[in-house]
Amino acid sequence: MASSRQIEQAAAAWLARRESGAWAGTDQAGLDAWLAESTAHRVAFLRLESTWNESGRLTALGAGQAPGAAPPRGQWSASPLDRPAPARAPMASAQSPTGGPPDLARLVFAPRGKERPARWPRLLAATFTGALALAGAGLGAHHYFYGVTEQASYATALGDLNRVPLSDGSGATLSSDSRIAVSLSRRERHIELQRGEAFFEAAKDPHRPFVVSAGPRQVVAVGTRFAVRRDGPDLRVVVTEGTVRLEASPDAQGHPQPTTLLPAGSLAIASRNGVVVRTGSVADAERLVDWRSGFVTFRDTSLAEAASEFNRYNARKLVMGDADVGALRVGGNFRWSNVDAFVRLLEQGFPVRAEAGADRIVLHSL
Amino acid sequence: MTESIDAWFAREILVHEEALVHFLRRCWPHREEIHDLRQEVYVRVYEAAGKSVPTAPKSFLFATARHLMTDRLRRSRVVSIETVGDFESINVLIDEVSPERWCGGRQVLKRLADAFDRLPDRCREVIWLRRVEELPQKEVASRLGISEKTVEKHVAKGIRLIAEHFYGGGGTRARPRQALQDAGKEPGHGQQQTD
Repeated sequence: MASSRQIEQAAAAWLARRESGAWAGTDQAGLDAWLAESTAHRVAFLRLESTWNESGRLTALGAGQAPGAAPPRGQWSASPLDRPAPARAPMASAQSPTGGPPDLARLVFAPRGKERPARWPRLLAATFTGALALAGAGLGAHHYFYGVTEQASYATALGDLNRVPLSDGSGATLSSDSRIAVSLSRRERHIELQRGEAFFEAAKDPHRPFVVSAGPRQVVAVGTRFAVRRDGPDLRVVVTEGTVRLEASPDAQGHPQPTTLLPAGSLAIASRNGVVVRTGSVADAERLVDWRSGFVTFRDTSLAEAASEFNRYNARKLVMGDADVGALRVGGNFRWSNVDAFVRLLEQGFPVRAEAGADRIVLHSL
Repeated sequence: MTESIDAWFAREILVHEEALVHFLRRCWPHREEIHDLRQEVYVRVYEAAGKSVPTAPKSFLFATARHLMTDRLRRSRVVSIETVGDFESINVLIDEVSPERWCGGRQVLKRLADAFDRLPDRCREVIWLRRVEELPQKEVASRLGISEKTVEKHVAKGIRLIAEHFYGGGGTRARPRQALQDAGKEPGHGQQQTD
């Protein structure tokens, strides 16, 4: 049996021939016969045919272009056509055109996929208002002397995300209620995570280590992607690409602390008692930083843990009414902005009763 | 009758292709089988619509995808715990998967233009002359100094690639290279792509 790709190629060949201009009645009979052979043929052809029909709209691109040759790529994106697609913006997804139950329709599954940098502008647009960037005013002679080329701090409010491009080509994405201070010099790139969590894409620069500090600990990278989160006195590091080094300042007695190397796929939790490292797949690690695209992902997670995850992003807190409810295991992929839908699903699918208040939702087991 | 089903299919089903492919990728651990799964989902939906057109096409599409995967899981001898676990957790909610709505005229044109820009050079040139300048195939061939058969091949390829991005979203907005990997027959790695 032909594979789906072979069928697609055959369908494309039929279509191209039909559109070639030399198409006789016998050709049509041949096509009809091919289409009648199987529904797979028919749907493959139908899909390409409707693409072909849609592609007729491309004539619009020809306006104002010199005829005879295709213009260089990328000309179209600067036009007013380039509207941010609303589909993924958390708020826009409320308008489900199909008219399902209004609130549940807002619950969207994360397309589990690649990073799509093009999404950033949209995310930025959606959250920019909430983020306040405090440009460093103190770029004086002192800093110049030490070679400081960029100094700034950035913060996000509860429920906001913000991606900050840094002058060295790196990027930092701040999660909800987070704050970083950036200081880039000729010798070092230093970022202090003062609160919350941030995901870093460190541009490669072997001569200038990329250092994220949080309290007494430091995460050092050369060029890689990783997230650092402060959780009370603990620190959580998730590495999705490359390797980072987790270091700690010498303790009170001046004893040097061990250094931990974290390869991609690692999840490290540094607490007062030491560092626990779990090494899994990169996909598992990626799941822990899904918040960047507006989602939280759980897999066999206790409800208590899931709730505290939601609470990082929302002013309206989920509270466990009893221990039983907190021990329920949940899984799935949820928009962190839509805590109401999450609660409603819990009520539908679990022995849970929610008691909604203005600033908190208490969950009780039935 | 068939014609109206075709139109229905393009309007109500194909527009969800991006979401569908994301869903399949999320649930199915073998990347190289996604193309085939997608086709089979379409076949089932199309055949069902021939009997009676579903009233809620989007839900029907995803329910079909779910059933198909369940069937395949049952058939396969080795069932990965991983797959089943993840799959089940999604089960409850999938009917609410939000469509990738991009039906406005501008969105459509933008999507087409993006897809067009992703074509390989020669292919892009051919599609431009055929589709934008609307020149006959013969003239395109003589302008580019290639045979008509070659023009036709470029058209066939171009239309496949455009469809992949236009309906499927390609998942490659800023990484054209990924498209090549997707198209290749690389062995399935993990249920999620890592980057």
